Amino acid sequence: MKEELEKNPQSTISSSQVFFIHVCCALALAAGFWVAHHVYSLNLVFDPTKTLCLIWAIEFPVVILLFSCCRQKPEKCSYFTAIARGLLGLPVGALLNALGALALGAPVGLQYLEKTVNWSLLMSSFTFVPTACVCGSSWTDWHRIFACTKPNGPLEFMLCLPAHGAVIGAWFGAWPMPLDWERPWQDWPICVSYGAMAGYVVGMVGSFGLALKMHAGRKQLKAE
Amino acid sequence: MWGWWRFGKWTVLIMFLHIISILIFTKGFLLTRTELPHSSHCSDLSQSPCHSSPSSSSCWTKPAVDRLIIIVLDALRFDFVAPSSFFEEKQPWMDKLEVLQRMASENPSSAKIFKAIADPPTTSLQRLKGLTTGALPTFIDVGNSFGAPAIVEDNFINQLIQNGKRVVMMGDDTWTQLFPHHFNKSYPYPSFNVKDLNTVDNGCIEHLLPSLYQQDWDVLIAHFLGVDHAGHIHGVDSTPMIEKLEQYNAVLEKVIKELQNQSGPGKLHENSLLLVMGDHGQTLNGDHGGGSPEEVETSIFAMSFKDLPSLPSEFDSSSCEPSKNICISSIPQLDFAVTVSSLLGVPFPFGSIGRVNPELYALAVCTWNLDDDKTWNNQGQTKLEEWLQNYANVLCINSWQVKRYIDVYSASSVIGFSSEDLFHISDLYSKADENWSYTKNLSSYKHGSSNTSLPVLKRQIVAYSNFLSYVAELARSKWTEFNLKMMGTGIGIMLLSLYCHTLAIKKLNKSYGVSLLSSRDSGISFGLMLTFFMVLIRAGSLLSNSYILKEGKAANFLLATTGIMTLRYSFMKNKMLIEAAIFLLLTFIFRIAIEVGLYKQAATSQFMSSSSSWMLGISISPSLWTYMAEIVPILALIILGYFLYKSISSCCWGIPKYVIMGTILSYFLIALHWISESNILDLAHFLKGFGKNSIPRTVYAITLVQLSLLAIVPIFSKEETSNCRGSLFVKMMSILSACSSTIIILQGKQGALVALGSLLAGYCMMRLQGIEKHTVSGTAGISILGPLPVLQWSLLAVCLLFASGHWCAFDGLRYGAAFVGFDEFILIPQAILLTIDTFGFSHILSVFGLPLFVAFPSPFNQTEHKSLFPIKLFWIFMVYGLITAITATATILCVTIQRRHLMVWGLFAPKFVFDVVGLILTDLLIFVASIYYFDGVEDRIGNAKLRRLW
Repeated sequence: MKEELEKNPQSTISSSQVFFIHVCCALALAAGFWVAHHVYSLNLVFDPTKTLCLIWAIEFPVVILLFSCCRQKPEKCSYFTAIARGLLGLPVGALLNALGALALGAPVGLQYLEKTVNWSLLMSSFTFVPTACVCGSSWTDWHRIFACTKPNGPLEFMLCLPAHGAVIGAWFGAWPMPLDWERPWQDWPICVSYGAMAGYVVGMVGSFGLALKMHAGRKQLKAE
Repeated sequence: MWGWWRFGKWTVLIMFLHIISILIFTKGFLLTRTELPHSSHCSDLSQSPCHSSPSSSSCWTKPAVDRLIIIVLDALRFDFVAPSSFFEEKQPWMDKLEVLQRMASENPSSAKIFKAIADPPTTSLQRLKGLTTGALPTFIDVGNSFGAPAIVEDNFINQLIQNGKRVVMMGDDTWTQLFPHHFNKSYPYPSFNVKDLNTVDNGCIEHLLPSLYQQDWDVLIAHFLGVDHAGHIHGVDSTPMIEKLEQYNAVLEKVIKELQNQSGPGKLHENSLLLVMGDHGQTLNGDHGGGSPEEVETSIFAMSFKDLPSLPSEFDSSSCEPSKNICISSIPQLDFAVTVSSLLGVPFPFGSIGRVNPELYALAVCTWNLDDDKTWNNQGQTKLEEWLQNYANVLCINSWQVKRYIDVYSASSVIGFSSEDLFHISDLYSKADENWSYTKNLSSYKHGSSNTSLPVLKRQIVAYSNFLSYVAELARSKWTEFNLKMMGTGIGIMLLSLYCHTLAIKKLNKSYGVSLLSSRDSGISFGLMLTFFMVLIRAGSLLSNSYILKEGKAANFLLATTGIMTLRYSFMKNKMLIEAAIFLLLTFIFRIAIEVGLYKQAATSQFMSSSSSWMLGISISPSLWTYMAEIVPILALIILGYFLYKSISSCCWGIPKYVIMGTILSYFLIALHWISESNILDLAHFLKGFGKNSIPRTVYAITLVQLSLLAIVPIFSKEETSNCRGSLFVKMMSILSACSSTIIILQGKQGALVALGSLLAGYCMMRLQGIEKHTVSGTAGISILGPLPVLQWSLLAVCLLFASGHWCAFDGLRYGAAFVGFDEFILIPQAILLTIDTFGFSHILSVFGLPLFVAFPSPFNQTEHKSLFPIKLFWIFMVYGLITAITATATILCVTIQRRHLMVWGLFAPKFVFDVVGLILTDLLIFVASIYYFDGVEDRIGNAKLRRLW
């Protein structure tokens, strides 16, 4: 597998790898919830700040470690450089996510600062960090994946789909917020986080499905 | 002009359809009952055909009770009071107020449980109004719209005060809002905190029992809120609810015991009546407001502390429960005011259309004594006759009062009853009345032989009752029931107009030569999809009261979403990044402004709790804050003026130049006006000579002169300009600047900021639109318009409405704006000013600013053919109109769907009025603007064509 990767570093990633990475990310998310619930007896509804903090703290190392493995041009860029890029990408992505959320109507105020920071760090580890690990500062790659949404190959789909899923999920998650149901989960950023996670998972499933399809297509090509 | 008519006929047709459909729908939907300011007086009775009461001390009727104790238990369901054996299944919350049931079964002649039927909307405020006025709910509470909901109509409390009764109130502070100066003593407690189950109740209990021993009142009102709040928070089937009911039971037990102790002859409560009643019911979830049986069915328990006989069975409508010896009869809440007034002997409220309820009346009025219908002794029969005589007389007064109200109402109101209905009413009344003169004579001289007079009296009572119930029925159908057929027709025509709209747009596309809607570029068809999606979301969001309440934020959310999409698009094209970013920043700023507006709204709204999410938590020293608030708008004004100056210095000729110069002068005057109002600079005495009204009036005058110049001059002078895009731009600038000065002075200081913001946003959007133009013009030579910018523009218009501190409710109007430049109230100028203030940015400037997308002389579009130009202009107007019309149609549909909603009058109906007015205004403005802009474009094209012909 590794030899194949090194031969054609641009795009190849096997569907089992895609599956493995996605399952690990999803498991990390679930683990975050589990730890919050069983170890610290926290809940996203009752203490969103700490729970979100726990979740991203568990999620983002997993994401960085996994995605740094499939960095582009591994011959030029060491594993640790990729990790460093991911670490750097985390706050930058958080800033962008927070700005987007504020533009869309996230509450401004000191009492919401912690929540917003933790939420945007989580969002960053869904959206920004994987691409930072894989592509680094390659503007053309970023432009292709996010601005044009024309990803190439399963690896880029793996970056693109879950990130878009998370953002779109968060956007939909904001809808129940103004309703007058007076449920505690309607507060910022609880339902938005739920939406983002759901979108993220859907995006991962989609990217895995696409990877399977592409793989099958390539096999067919080879067979022919 | 023929060129204009080619497309302009569509605008006329669509406007016509909109107006027709809205008129028809409104006639079916807004069943307005206007409030009359008249009130009843003691002396009025001389005009009636009825007996005036024999003793001179009494007023309309002979007082039957001296003191009245009204205990209101908010949201009291009928099954809280009625015995569980009346229902199929016993539920945990039933039989908790067992003291009432015990009393009703022990002394059926002096205590009784009624099922009271309320009229929707079943909210406390509306119900208290209904209970005290005896009238049906009004649509637009004029009093409410000015912030104070005090009742203007004649009502029971008002009658009490006028006739020297003393009223004590304790509990829910809604009473003190409704009757600010009526109570001798009041102990109000705040009602808005739903989570607090106890404050109001404990306050009531604290004052209720001691008050029972005091002599300084005639009517006592205690309003408990705990059950309502417990329902809202925990639902009906919950421990807090049961605890509340048990608490009430204990309190009522104490009250009844005290009253019984004091009820002996010569004692304090010798002749008292206790009423324990709900104002409305609630569903099992604790909701109320609508018209479902659970919500409208509440209860009245009445108990008098005299030993009373029972009523002859003809007038007894009760259903009995033999095992427990409890009879329960039903009474419309409409009857409450008039019955209680007759018991206390005060005039009936002028607008009441209720009937004096015989059973409730009989509980307190005891004039005869008999054991059983069959064993009437002679004396008993006389007594019965006396009672019937008395009741017939009360009904006579009652009918006369209702007839008088109907007559006065139909004489003074625009939308009254139909003539057939009125005829039927008069017919019924005159029949009953004829009968009455006969009955009166009969009883006056045939006093001894009562065998004949009894059936006559009974017939008389039935005749009056028929009249009264007919009136109540008719009023209910006219005032509280929707005419679904008319509403349906209105909606149908509205949908037809939407179809015409799309047809018109398709036609425009055809004449454009290329299909604008289905484009080759995937980015643009994506834009079309996004537009559809956004419009759909916005239309769907109007179905929920929460989204209407936060409409500004929702519109801003969508605007920011489109902003992010354009940012992404500009990333894709690597162009105009700064403009996209500035646009996003502006939406953020508008959002903050909208939240400030929401905060203001929460202060007066009955539906919103104030949220302070926008509060930064940073305290800026107040002096610095006021200083900023004074300086920043003036700075904004200076910047605006500078922009205008720049624009005329670049392209200046003729009339537009003078118009823009006039605007700059206006801005200067406005700045001077603000400075003189504030106290930063001590200019006030310097300007005193002018008077504070002269500057606004000068600004209005300048605007009028500018507008008339712009309207008249093009007819006489036909100057050729080489660049028709440029001339359109100048036209747009001049009319926008002409309108802006008036709008800014009306809006006050925020106006300048909002104007600057919208100018910047407009600039950014225009530039961003250029991205697509550029990319396509290279290949095809024709710029392609996407609907997305138009959608953005209309969303921006919605945001501007909210950002400038308005919201879709009648208390969202800024009444202060009507008095800028005027001191006294003159209806027409004030109404015009208020309209300009409300719709200034969101409609007037938005529509006139629409050519922005085609007008700006962009370097990429020189190749384009000129004849396409007016088509594009029309296309933009049409798409904008379509988006507005879709939103308004959605509002109409949602109002229809939600017509039985709790907030239909509080929220949906005002929103409907705003949207409908906005739609017609938009249509009108599009009509005017298309003529105005077309004038400039068409002439030249016409000339060009002529030249080609030659």
